[in-house]
Amino acid sequence: MKAPLATTASTLAAPALPTPAVPVSFGDHAVHGSVRLGDRNPRAPYFFLAPFLVIFALFTVYPLIQSIVLSTQQTYGPRSARFVGASNFITLLHDALFWKAVRNTVVFTCGSVFLQLPLSLGLAMLLNRPGLRGRTTFRLIFFSPSLVGLAFVAMIFGLIFEKRTGLLNVGLHRIVGFNPDFPWLQEYVMPAMILAALWMYVGFNMVYFLAALQNVSRDLQEAAEVDGAGAWHRFMHVTIPAIRPVATFVVLLSIIGSFQLFELPYVLLGGGGPDNQGLTVVMYLYQNGFETGDLGYASAIGWLLAILLGTFAVVQRLLAKAEEA
Amino acid sequence: MRRSKRDSRRRACGFLSFGGWSIVFLACVTTVIVVVWPIPRRPGLTMWTAARNHTLIYDPMVQKWNAHQTPRVNLYLISQDALARRMMSGFLSDTPMADVIEVEKQVAGRAFAGPIDDVGFVDLTDKLRSSGIYGELNTPSLGPWTSRGHVFGLPHDVHPVMLCYRADIVEAAGIDVSKIETWDDFAEAFRPLIKDLDGDGRPDRYALNLWHTSTDQIETLMLQAGGNFFDENERPTIDTDANARVLSTVVSWVEGPRRIAADAPEFTASGNQLRIDGYVVSSIMPDWLCGVWKQDLPQLKGKLKLMPLPAWDRGGRHTSVWGGTMLGIPKSSKNFDAAWAFAKNLYLSEDLARDLYATTNIVTPVKKFWPKAFYDVPDPYFSGQAPGRRYLRLAPDVPRRTSSPFNPLAKARVQDALLELRRYALEHSAFDPVRLHAEARRQLKIAEDLVREQIDRNVFLKETAK
Repeated sequence: MKAPLATTASTLAAPALPTPAVPVSFGDHAVHGSVRLGDRNPRAPYFFLAPFLVIFALFTVYPLIQSIVLSTQQTYGPRSARFVGASNFITLLHDALFWKAVRNTVVFTCGSVFLQLPLSLGLAMLLNRPGLRGRTTFRLIFFSPSLVGLAFVAMIFGLIFEKRTGLLNVGLHRIVGFNPDFPWLQEYVMPAMILAALWMYVGFNMVYFLAALQNVSRDLQEAAEVDGAGAWHRFMHVTIPAIRPVATFVVLLSIIGSFQLFELPYVLLGGGGPDNQGLTVVMYLYQNGFETGDLGYASAIGWLLAILLGTFAVVQRLLAKAEEA
Repeated sequence: MRRSKRDSRRRACGFLSFGGWSIVFLACVTTVIVVVWPIPRRPGLTMWTAARNHTLIYDPMVQKWNAHQTPRVNLYLISQDALARRMMSGFLSDTPMADVIEVEKQVAGRAFAGPIDDVGFVDLTDKLRSSGIYGELNTPSLGPWTSRGHVFGLPHDVHPVMLCYRADIVEAAGIDVSKIETWDDFAEAFRPLIKDLDGDGRPDRYALNLWHTSTDQIETLMLQAGGNFFDENERPTIDTDANARVLSTVVSWVEGPRRIAADAPEFTASGNQLRIDGYVVSSIMPDWLCGVWKQDLPQLKGKLKLMPLPAWDRGGRHTSVWGGTMLGIPKSSKNFDAAWAFAKNLYLSEDLARDLYATTNIVTPVKKFWPKAFYDVPDPYFSGQAPGRRYLRLAPDVPRRTSSPFNPLAKARVQDALLELRRYALEHSAFDPVRLHAEARRQLKIAEDLVREQIDRNVFLKETAK
């Protein structure tokens, strides 16, 4: 059967030049048709690519180049800008507050990955038990916190974590005599933020894991059981490898989301909080760019963060390749 | 075979479904409508404010102005954040702005960060001096609106500070506040009020509402003690004995065996409940906070009294300052003369002084209105005291402040210094202010160096200095 492309090609107005027949593949089937390249307008592909390239250049490439230029300037709004060379980057490398923000962000990320995800997986495994009644209801209950925005979560937990009158301190005081003045939002800011994020995202990640668990082959599980593998061995050697692609995706999503953290501490603490315990990289960037007006320094922060994350991604990729090898 | 025109049209129509084409059509039509539709603009001047209480007072005054004067004024109430963003956007990017803007101190400082010629407000220095208004105003009230010797706004207030206490609790304990002159006197006199009321081993009542995270109150105490963040030339003066003394004392008040203070945050429901419960017996109270408490804490009516702040030393200052608002005219205003006439009419009128005090307890910065009788009216909320007169007695002694755009940065660094000092006190079990003084100086030096580093980075201030 002639490929449709051959008919299409022959209808285009193009001079018939002696061109070789080239294989054209459609999905899994390579079809050898008489596609004559010279019959097509050679500029056609560029016309088709043009809209995307224009938008990409305008909204991605140009801002990127502009932000590099901006990072070498000190600004007070768009009109006042002075070239300062690498001064912003040099200052940033010695900026204790920036590194504090990086440290806070990394700690929060670790809390997300090492606390939230195992909890999500555990919940998913519980929900995946055969014969469980009300699975849909439980899934909705666990997933529903992620339906409200981070700003709402921050406001709710701001009230929960209040000293002396907050739900948590009052409840624990009544039950176990806990200190009602326990300063969650003054001295234990990071645990408070991790708890709030845990409440919001555990259900969200649980849904991914549940979907992955439901696709684990039951035959493999049964075969492993027949071979004498216990529950732990089945989990480590059957379940985990089967859900690894989804788990990798969820981990990556958590890391990216954690590094973009801004609304939760901004609404919960009104900024970085006492001793900047809740200051994150994006918040520091915002404070410098939009509160102080120094867009140049903010751009430098953005680029340094991009370099740090890029380095991390490269190292992770190399380690993964080494592991595969 | 050439495709027929009908086939081409059919292919084009088939590119999208009927629903898809409907959406495209609606999008195009609404785009045209939005672009072409004229935005209705009210004629006259526009004024922005972020204080709801102020609009209640300004509305009748604006209506009176509009009845007799031109151009008319349109008053808009917008949120503080929105006002700050629109103001900075207007200054930096020439987006539409009001003709008159009422700005709070923290927001106004951001307008002074760049080159002096780029400050978006009109320089009113010459106007104030030539018209004699400068001499009519309480001089310290101009400080926050003055940058590099130029005055950019009319002050709205003075904001002297007193100490507000639970008279029902204090007088029942037999404490005579007239004998209290210094903070040491206060700590000793009020210490017997610290009690465990429910038998759980933890105090349920403290003498003072203050915490190591109460940045505004700590700045207020520093100003009272003669400290400051910047000098007249806007160079940082954070590392001083006065500032160190305040930090050391605050640490001894919030931690250790001589603790007298607890945290009942202002502007929160939980803090209000703690005040009603008597968890904290006294609070640092600027005049504007009186109006807030009247609104939020009607349960405390008749239970409160005001006293001058205890001084840091005998014969020292018995007041401080907290907050502030100004009225500025952006350079983009199309009718400066009319805006200036309206601003003077609003801010320098006796009507405003009277209504502002009646509604919010805020005393005017215009000295010629200070003797007026409405400041002497007894207030049942404060157990029959006349708060206005009490605040005005202290008004001439209000400390000087600067308008440095680095003020928020300095406050944040001082906050860090205080937190480090507290950590030091807990690690070394050292809660005596005298023992903490050296460490306080060390932390304040670090804070000052960090602020100086940021100031020295600012190329625009260097250009102005040249």
